[in-house]
Amino acid sequence: MEIIQAIEKIVGPDRVSDSECVCLSYAYNAILGKDVVRKPDIVVMPKTAEEISEIIKLANEYKVPITPKGVTGTSGHGGCLRGGILLDLTLMDKILLIDPVNMKTVAEAGCSFFKLSHELFKEGLMLPTAPYGPGPNVAASAILPVNAFGETKYGANINLVEGFEVVLPSGEIIRVGSMAYADFDFGPYYRYITGPDLVGLFTKMNGALGIVTKIAYRCLKRSEKWGFHTYYWPMDKIEELTKAVLGLTAAEIFDVHLNDRWSWNMIESVTLPDDCYFLMQIILNADNDLELAGREQTMRTICESNAGSYLPGFAEDFYTRWPTHFMFMEMVAPPRKSLPAKLPRRYMIMFDELIFPTSRLPEIYTKMMELCKKHGLWGFPQFSAFSGFPMNAQTISGHSWTPLDDTDPDVMKHFYECQAEFREWFGKKGGTYQQRLPPAAPDYVWTNQMGAFKLIRSIKELLDPNDILSPGTFELFEQEEA
Amino acid sequence: MKELRKTYLQDFRDSWTLCAHCGTCNARGPVIPHNWKELPPPEWTSPYHRCPSFEHFNFRTYNAQGRGILAMRVFDDKDFPLSDDLMKAVYTCTSCGVCSDICKATDPLTAIWALREELVRRGAELPEPLGKIHRNIDQTNNMFGSAKPVKMEGVPTEGEDIYFAGCNARFTQPKVIQAVLKTLKAAGIEAAYLGEEEKCCGFIPGHDGQTDLLEQQAMRNIETLKEAGCKRLIVSCAHCYKAFTVDYPMIVGELPFQVVHYAELLSQLIKEKKVSFTKRIEKKVTYHDPCFLGRHCGVYDAPREVLSAIPGLELAEMERNRRWSYCCGSGAKISGICYPEFGNAVTKERLQEGMQAADHVVTACTTCVSQMSRVARNEKMDVEIDDISTLAAEAMGIELP
Repeated sequence: MEIIQAIEKIVGPDRVSDSECVCLSYAYNAILGKDVVRKPDIVVMPKTAEEISEIIKLANEYKVPITPKGVTGTSGHGGCLRGGILLDLTLMDKILLIDPVNMKTVAEAGCSFFKLSHELFKEGLMLPTAPYGPGPNVAASAILPVNAFGETKYGANINLVEGFEVVLPSGEIIRVGSMAYADFDFGPYYRYITGPDLVGLFTKMNGALGIVTKIAYRCLKRSEKWGFHTYYWPMDKIEELTKAVLGLTAAEIFDVHLNDRWSWNMIESVTLPDDCYFLMQIILNADNDLELAGREQTMRTICESNAGSYLPGFAEDFYTRWPTHFMFMEMVAPPRKSLPAKLPRRYMIMFDELIFPTSRLPEIYTKMMELCKKHGLWGFPQFSAFSGFPMNAQTISGHSWTPLDDTDPDVMKHFYECQAEFREWFGKKGGTYQQRLPPAAPDYVWTNQMGAFKLIRSIKELLDPNDILSPGTFELFEQEEA
Repeated sequence: MKELRKTYLQDFRDSWTLCAHCGTCNARGPVIPHNWKELPPPEWTSPYHRCPSFEHFNFRTYNAQGRGILAMRVFDDKDFPLSDDLMKAVYTCTSCGVCSDICKATDPLTAIWALREELVRRGAELPEPLGKIHRNIDQTNNMFGSAKPVKMEGVPTEGEDIYFAGCNARFTQPKVIQAVLKTLKAAGIEAAYLGEEEKCCGFIPGHDGQTDLLEQQAMRNIETLKEAGCKRLIVSCAHCYKAFTVDYPMIVGELPFQVVHYAELLSQLIKEKKVSFTKRIEKKVTYHDPCFLGRHCGVYDAPREVLSAIPGLELAEMERNRRWSYCCGSGAKISGICYPEFGNAVTKERLQEGMQAADHVVTACTTCVSQMSRVARNEKMDVEIDDISTLAAEAMGIELP
């Protein structure tokens, strides 16, 4: 029997397809300018963990790769690296629990953050580390952590995850962390249950060790009061800017978003002061007016004692306007009309989702600038716009995006050379990535931690001897290409 | 001048490569959760199900995101196979426009229309019965290929005010023609009706990729209407309205006459106290916003103003209304005709939603009326469906055959 017929017996004929068009339409990821995913051979839309379990057993029998996909965040593989079966989890989108007293929620893997946040708000709760874009589903964001506002105070989204239900490569359905207790009287109330933290095993793994089907989150009280402010710095004050970011992060400010002026230069409606080079948009949260005033005073003291100038009206407008920044493409497209017509609107990520110590920001930014200048990719109108998310633990997750003509081989040659030179330098420094694994990230994210990589490979081989779950996820691609 | 109506994949390539695949255009659930300060205002609290073909087929292939990806594949590969699967993915789009209303950055629907034009340029065989409809329009000036439209005795065939009935009304809904002409006459407007001389507006070919035929029909209509002395064209089909107000100006520039939808005109006449609803209609009705009148042309209030002015009539809204209105199943007269099982399922869902609000669905588009009436009849659904004109006539005490 053909595998597709066997899958049809599990999910019925309407939720499986091997049509060329259907499969092609899933061959995308959310990484601007990078096509690292491959076309699946079969797309299946399961509705339950039990269906997934049966499909995994079949995949083992037929030795066919199997990869999960939710609605994407703005990054991550989000698809097959080796073809095979793609599980589209978007029909698994039920909210299973909202417990406002114990501040917990459980949802199926395909539930979107927007859907979940919308319901949590009604109960006075929030998931503060909401990622970019409306669609990222709760599990995809955990298995490939995404950039998110609120990270300055609360850290990465995964810090709020307390439990998973996972279908293992054998087809066995298990629950880890708080989800292990989900059906008991106390419910899913604590992540660090007896034994080592197995929730961590299933994060940032692109479905390679198991397919997450349910996820438990620790929620936070939805703050009553919010403040939105912008400060800016001239280019020669990057050291002071860095001190301000460190200070704001230490003060547990809700969110700091850092840009250079190139990001905003593209938007027709934005006019910046001449001496504004770096912008910091700050979101504050508090339970009452008094606390908010105190936080605002802290923010002012930190920014102004470190050469920051206040820019009124900017963040206030940006963050409170509908649609919000979640639809950030609305903000950057179409680009400023005054851009030369020949400058194409194709964006590519040059320096991608880098994680580095906040204290090293001047060094990192200077290196980016130096390399971009060398390759003719710096300055207006050809530029590379930097966007940084300062996170707690005094780190920054940053990236840059560059509009360029990707049909010009010379431009692309410089783009890739610039990127490669930076990667080599950054990798030697010990830099890493927030949300990507090879091949979307360079191999140094593994080679810099060879011991851990070998352990992950061993676990993978143990759990998945046929290498059917998201094959390609834990591999060294540069060696393979060589 | 003609090139103005053309759309090319090239025009969308940049915006589609910019697409971050955030999924807003198709994701189920609310579009925006919050801006931390407050819950979304009502206009942003979108319904859970929005894209009809995605809801029906479930695979991403059948939403704006999937079609955009296919469009770029076609653009990049001049030998891309024009398979039945591709045609199904592209032509099951209902053109309802909800995706483009959400994401103005990439405007997915216009890109899908550009993809259809590209497929036509590459010689793709369009799903049936589009070829037959094109021949009918070309040869008989109506989509049905029928010889004789409804005749209206005693109605002028030329004048400054001309009623453009559209194919559906001209051949299948004489009651609507009577209602429009008689209500307008009662309000002091003696509108002409061209009958056999009226030409199909060309909406279907204009939106299935055969834009040359739309241009041909635009020229034919404008010439005929000019000859008939038209100063103001009154339209009661949402598709014709979109063709005249959005598409034709892209072909010929400013039209030599004003175009108004019947509901807009009636609403204006009510405000001017030229219409008097003398008969109470003790009914609860719900209004279905036609995609091409609402989302595509921004006419939401006028039909509601008309219905609200009818004494005794209670207007109840469906869950998905105004900008979030759901397709009637006709799918721009394309997906519903080419994929009737899909179209009928959408219609059934929409009618069931309507029946949650009222047992009488009123709309302002003869195509929607035609589609919903047929499915309600076939599915034995206990719901009345009317064009707004017939309800207005009843309220004015005008008897219709």
